[in-house]
Amino acid sequence: MKLISSALLVLCLAASAQAQQEIKVGGIFDLTGITSDVGKPYAQGVRDAVAWTNENGGINGKKIRLVDVDYGYKIPEAVAAYKRMVGDEKVIMINGWGTGDTEGLKVQVNQDKVPYVSASFSAHLTDPSKTPYNFFVGPTYSDGLRAWLRWVKEDFKDKSRNPKVAFFYGDNAYGKSPIEAGRRFCKETGIDLVDEEIVPGAFQDATSQLLNMKQKGADYAYINVTTTGVSTILRDAKKLGLPTKFGSNPYGFGESLPQVAKEAAEGVTGIMVDVPFGEDVPGMKRLVDFHKKNHPDDTHDTFYVRGWTYVLVWSEALKRADKAGKLNGEGVKGAFETLKDFDLGGLTAPVTYTSSDHRPTTTVNIYQIKNGKLTKAKQYEMERKPEWLGL
Amino acid sequence: MLSGEFHTSYASDMGIFETRRAGWVLAAFIVALFAIPFVAGSYWLDVTNRAAIAVIAATGLNILTGFTGQISLGNAAFLSVGAYTTAFLANHGVPFLFACPLAGIVTALAGMVFGIPSLRLKGLYLAMATLAAHFIIEFTSSHWEGVTGGVAGTSVPFPRILGFDFSNDSRLFFLVVPACIAHLYFAKNLFRTRVGKAFVAIRDQDISAEVMGVDVFRYKLLSFAVSSFYVGVAGSLLAYQARIISPENFPLGIAIDHLGMIIIGGLGSILGSILGAVFLTLLPEVLRLATSALSGSFPHLVQLFTPLKVAVFGLTIVLFLVFEPDGLADLWRRVRNWFRLYPFSY
Amino acid sequence: MEFFLQLLINGLVVGCIYSLVALGFVIIYKSSGILNFAQGEFLLLGAYVFLAIVAQANVPVLPALLLTFAFSTLLGLVLERVVLRPLIGEPIISVIMVTLGLSSILRAIVQGIWGTDTRPMHAVFSLEPIQIGPLPVARGYLYSAASVAVLLVALTLFFKYARPGIAMRATADSQQVSLSMGISVRRIFALSWSIAAVVSAAGGVLLATMRGGVDGSLAILGLKTLPVVIVGGLDSIGGAILGGLLVGVLENLAGGYLDPIFGGGVKEVAPFVALVLILMIRPYGLFGKVRIERV
Repeated sequence: MKLISSALLVLCLAASAQAQQEIKVGGIFDLTGITSDVGKPYAQGVRDAVAWTNENGGINGKKIRLVDVDYGYKIPEAVAAYKRMVGDEKVIMINGWGTGDTEGLKVQVNQDKVPYVSASFSAHLTDPSKTPYNFFVGPTYSDGLRAWLRWVKEDFKDKSRNPKVAFFYGDNAYGKSPIEAGRRFCKETGIDLVDEEIVPGAFQDATSQLLNMKQKGADYAYINVTTTGVSTILRDAKKLGLPTKFGSNPYGFGESLPQVAKEAAEGVTGIMVDVPFGEDVPGMKRLVDFHKKNHPDDTHDTFYVRGWTYVLVWSEALKRADKAGKLNGEGVKGAFETLKDFDLGGLTAPVTYTSSDHRPTTTVNIYQIKNGKLTKAKQYEMERKPEWLGL
Repeated sequence: MLSGEFHTSYASDMGIFETRRAGWVLAAFIVALFAIPFVAGSYWLDVTNRAAIAVIAATGLNILTGFTGQISLGNAAFLSVGAYTTAFLANHGVPFLFACPLAGIVTALAGMVFGIPSLRLKGLYLAMATLAAHFIIEFTSSHWEGVTGGVAGTSVPFPRILGFDFSNDSRLFFLVVPACIAHLYFAKNLFRTRVGKAFVAIRDQDISAEVMGVDVFRYKLLSFAVSSFYVGVAGSLLAYQARIISPENFPLGIAIDHLGMIIIGGLGSILGSILGAVFLTLLPEVLRLATSALSGSFPHLVQLFTPLKVAVFGLTIVLFLVFEPDGLADLWRRVRNWFRLYPFSY
Repeated sequence: MEFFLQLLINGLVVGCIYSLVALGFVIIYKSSGILNFAQGEFLLLGAYVFLAIVAQANVPVLPALLLTFAFSTLLGLVLERVVLRPLIGEPIISVIMVTLGLSSILRAIVQGIWGTDTRPMHAVFSLEPIQIGPLPVARGYLYSAASVAVLLVALTLFFKYARPGIAMRATADSQQVSLSMGISVRRIFALSWSIAAVVSAAGGVLLATMRGGVDGSLAILGLKTLPVVIVGGLDSIGGAILGGLLVGVLENLAGGYLDPIFGGGVKEVAPFVALVLILMIRPYGLFGKVRIERV
């Protein structure tokens, strides 16, 4: 009897010691919903990066346990998952996904002091006076749109009039996020915003919206939906023989676009936040090695790389918080705000967070599809204007 | 031991409980129910609250579809009407005790409007008309931004009674569950009255009912109204529970879920609504526990969870309909009778 | 004017696909009285199977098409036998729920096997549009319109002159009388489900080739064809065809003219509004048979 109870005691101690060696991080991903075309590779990137981190020393020796869930891009599911992760699983921070749910949870996250790193680049999450616990890795959607509009102004050769631009966006928070910023920037830069077309979350056919746009005679159009929707729009535009030049957002532009849209994707520009998979930059080596070792038959794209960059950033924050002895929500938030020009080996631009500004970077890379390949067209350094914080 | 029904007065024949003992058992069950908030974790309280809200909504649908025979696919839409009305009222300072019933009444009115087609349409065609109602209401809630906040949705403040804030799930339990019990009691009594029996007559054979003097159109509208009131109250409670509502909270899948609940539970049975609603609310949770327990050995299970959830739901419905068409309520009755008649059960 | 014509043509072509799927609905309803909510999933499955055969087994298009049809036939037969046979005689709501449950299962199977990525389909038609008068029309659209027309003619002839077709119509009229005339009603049910599955698969393949890829959203079409069959009348083949074209045109015109006013989403709602209006005037659809109820 004594032997059994002491054995049990030892086991319990070992288990709790094991538990103390673990840091729980929540993951809310879209693997099956309307943004799963980019959500799945991103989630895989996060998982792989967590595994790689654990193999390479973890967080100062402690292992990360990713508690991940698929919420199908449905806000109620995200809220339920959040409640479960914070209430039951007691995660220290969450790697979230969509604009709608992240913006919906921002008040709760602030109350519960849970750092929430979202895949969403919505500018509404960058003002620490309103959303001190929200972070992300990349330029805001709004800065991206502004940079693209600047490119439009430079690309438009006819000096006799302003270029005419149309916005295509999805009927959700993600789609609408940069639109107001875009409208104002068009006015400031002398671009005529002639049309705004809304598409539903999932759609087969964008012909009537494109025909509307054709009537208004837009020279350029910006598409703010994920890659599947962008392909549909490009193909339909090609079928209608439209001369409009299209540009796409950071979640609507990647290696899959020339594959699915084929010749309709030629010449299309887009914002690339991370480099394409396999690009020759110093940070890519560990990704390529991990991929070769663990799933050499899979293909990867820029969204997979994005997942990796996220883990690299927040694991650094966790390390710093742990070293300072403050491994809790507030401590991790503070640790994020110590990151200054944190280098990611060229995978994406270096990130900086301060207690008054959560915009990690204002560098925007515009790529263009030439001969079915993603080639870098121009890099813009957008100004860090205070009136653009939070818009 | 009860070996058959043996009533000696009309009152006992029409009573809710067949034996006095059944009444005591129910009372004990309710007392045990109220012990839950003191033992359960916050996530399971969330599940319980959602189950109770589903019970109210399923009962509403059962009144319309199970008891009156009017097939309705509009439950999700009516739920959203209740929720958005509540959000609007609560954000304008109307307290919970007024907002909730008011939302029910508004939804009842909406239900009557969409019940007007039932005058001319039957069966499948009525189902289609209610489906159209769903899409029309969904369109309205996405576009009427002034009232509903459009696609981004609105947030709902805590319910507050006499200065007491119901700010978390365990406190909300004491609002939701009593409301649920009250609604169930009313529904059970409804079918002992003239109105309830008119509903059942319409389901069974509406032409004969008309011939016998039942004003079919009036009672059909009343059925839509009562059912929608229930669903509206459920939507109102949902708004307070979810705190953030948007059109995404009310997809068509919810209407199909509710229909599944009453079919699995048993059409035309109040107990069926309870059993079906609880069963279908707990099913995804059980599935989640199973997949997370197994995910150590099968890491790809996380990705399969959503299709698995959908597949299991579909499979449950199909299996129940093929093997147990009268639902869980009937199953329960057979099991209970077996025990009652033991050792003479057959 | 050009805007209107473009919308009209687009609507007619999209409407052809709706007609095809609606035909599947109507065939099953006409012979067995069941409304099959899983029709959209038949379309989805047909498209995915075709893609798998073409892309992974590298089979050329025509044999792949025949294989897909064979698969669909099998699917229809199995489903009819396993799921629908036990439900003969059950109230209509049970039947609706079974097909809804079935649609969930099929959708989940597709998602489980193939995931939710868009799988690119290699180009069967080039994307260059053909000019008809002042309007560019996509090549794929014309081919699908042509295929639909061929299928419709074939089916109409089948139902009018072929023995199984006539037997199906007889079964739809009265099962008991057909049985006493020596028609195997069981076989007729199986046949109707197979034909419906094949027709949907054809629609799925066409849609997939037009869009250049396959993904889970194809199943939404099943829901969109409900207004079509109601408008056309649940038991009328001509109604399904006309209904499909009508709804396609209505959708596009509503989207083109009303979307800017309402800020989007009108395209999806318009068919349902039309549904309600038409049902109020003609409760059995435009061409459906009026049911005479007796007590």
